[in-house]
Amino acid sequence: MPVTRTRSPFLWLLDKEWRELLVSRAWWLLLLGMGPLVGVSFISAVRTYAEVSGLNGTSAGVGEALAPLIGVWAPAFSACELVAVFLLPFVAIRLVAGDRQSGALKLELQQGMSSFTRMAAKALVLLVGWLVAMLPPLSALLLWKSYGGSLYAPELITLTVGHVLNAGLTIGLAAAMSSFTEHPSTAAILTLGFTVGTWILDVFGAVQGGWWERAAGYTPAALVSEFEHGLWRLDTSLIALVLIVAGLSLAAIWTRLGIPVSRRLWESAALGLLAAVGIGACTFLRASWDTSESRGNSFPETDERALRRIRQPLRIEVHLAPEDGRRLDLEREALVKLRRIMPNLQVKYISATSIGLFEQTSAGYGEIWYDLAGRRTMSRMITAEGVLEAIYSVAHIAPAAETDEAVFRGHPLAAPPRGAGTIFYGCWPVLFLGSAILVRRRFQ
Amino acid sequence: MESMLFEVNGLSKRFGAIEALADVSFHVQAGELLGLIGPNGAGKSTLFECLAGVLPCDSGSMRAGGRPVSARDRRSLLFYVPDGIAPWPKQPVRWVLDFTIGFLGGRASAREEVIEQLALVPLLHQPVGTLSKGQRKRVLLAIGLLTSQPALLVDEPFEGLDLRQARDIAAALRAHAAGGRTLFLSIHQIGDAARFCDRFVLLSSGRVCGEGTVPELAALAAAHDGSRSYDDLEEVFLALT
Repeated sequence: MPVTRTRSPFLWLLDKEWRELLVSRAWWLLLLGMGPLVGVSFISAVRTYAEVSGLNGTSAGVGEALAPLIGVWAPAFSACELVAVFLLPFVAIRLVAGDRQSGALKLELQQGMSSFTRMAAKALVLLVGWLVAMLPPLSALLLWKSYGGSLYAPELITLTVGHVLNAGLTIGLAAAMSSFTEHPSTAAILTLGFTVGTWILDVFGAVQGGWWERAAGYTPAALVSEFEHGLWRLDTSLIALVLIVAGLSLAAIWTRLGIPVSRRLWESAALGLLAAVGIGACTFLRASWDTSESRGNSFPETDERALRRIRQPLRIEVHLAPEDGRRLDLEREALVKLRRIMPNLQVKYISATSIGLFEQTSAGYGEIWYDLAGRRTMSRMITAEGVLEAIYSVAHIAPAAETDEAVFRGHPLAAPPRGAGTIFYGCWPVLFLGSAILVRRRFQ
Repeated sequence: MESMLFEVNGLSKRFGAIEALADVSFHVQAGELLGLIGPNGAGKSTLFECLAGVLPCDSGSMRAGGRPVSARDRRSLLFYVPDGIAPWPKQPVRWVLDFTIGFLGGRASAREEVIEQLALVPLLHQPVGTLSKGQRKRVLLAIGLLTSQPALLVDEPFEGLDLRQARDIAAALRAHAAGGRTLFLSIHQIGDAARFCDRFVLLSSGRVCGEGTVPELAALAAAHDGSRSYDDLEEVFLALT
């Protein structure tokens, strides 16, 4: 049947990229792996959740503080993180490097469409491909609901967005690496190497503290961890978007084969500079939203109201080493929450060593000093309550009485993961395998 | 005299220490069948890629109608079909032709004619990656013939084809040239080029050794040699390179 030119070239390009994704073995393997991986995590999480909630005669009282986000959804969706690191790069690399390898790029470049538009089409299709891959974890929501479990939309949307952003980072990185290199295997090695590099940065940040620790706060793993806790930070989200756009733009620059390498290098340097400025600007943004039902990233509302009344800058000097467990607890339990409420907060860590083991006997080690408008107080408490008490003391504010309504009671659910094995180990793999066979047969 | 479609002046390209093209200059006339001939490694593909803008050249210019050709002008002036590629290998030939029309701005009206001329009907449902070298070459030629630019540059159009196929494709190319399209073909088999083309650009080690019709090149070779006369393109080529 004769073709009519009613579709725009961009729609033709989208059609091509979608067809290339459909014939990609890497994508079908990713889909095949997603069901069982989600299944393992979901079944294990639901079982543990049920036991803690009182299944099989265990103490039901423990379950009162259980939050499905932490107990079920963070582990169930962790399969997405695994797949985004180890399988998604191959799908993205195939889609970006395939054109160069087959020679199609030389034909497509003669069309005159901007390389940025071409890369945007690839990214769009990869995003759709990733959303399809997220169907198994999303199906777990229905399963959980069928058990009588509670769903809280804001925290689930946050979690999903976190994993989409993480996948976007992988796509941006893989696209950039594919455009630099002649062979997809080199691109795969570089992409995985970069990811391992971010893990090393995480470890280095935990050991060294300081700027390393700050930089480690923006790695994909740190990003996902925040979203898993229902914390949606504007700075990390925008930084992720800047990095995604930078990666795709870099890929677009390096797939313009007709442009001299020296010019592409200058353009890359300018892009890097622009991205660095953008990232730097984003780090000054303080807006964040605690979308968790348990308000796990926030102090009680009465305390938050009291803290907002403090206008002067609060300085906290923490004498704890980077690897000291108390420092991690202090960060998670109190400082993360405090930063969201008090924009004028300055935290300074002081330690002579990274592990702190041999500093325990030093005078002043373990002390946390609070300084507000020249008034100082010291505490060694690392809990949220302890930190609040010290701040109220230095600010001369009477602590607000906690109301009963503000306490999250949790959603205990003593139900075993019925039917989950069949769905995740049977239905999803069969569905994806069947679809793969049908699609490939259509193309053959 | 036929009008000039475009001219190339002082085109040079290096790959590190290797000089792939050195001060290449020639012109292309509208509606002609121009052959770019030279041995393997002469720089034919590099020249085509530089002209098509898929490879940056170090220096040189392209002019059409007395004006420098911009990237946008180049895209509307010529289309280049590389040799030895298997574009969109998992997609069926039918879709590749439709994509050429839809994305590359090809001529939908020429679709059936091109399919028939290049005997592509039995291949329409086969993925490009499963085709033989000769079949793939026919698909690549179909892509080129469907495009609408006034000049079509084809790298090694007869490579991988048997005698019958080569004759059929030569006839198809001639039919398109008769329609006013300029064909600039890179051919390393000088015999094929002599049978097919009107005029020639001789390229050896990245340098243009001669440009013109067979009699013009023969005269050039005779002047170069100083004694004997030539009437065969192969001998002319050997004398000039």
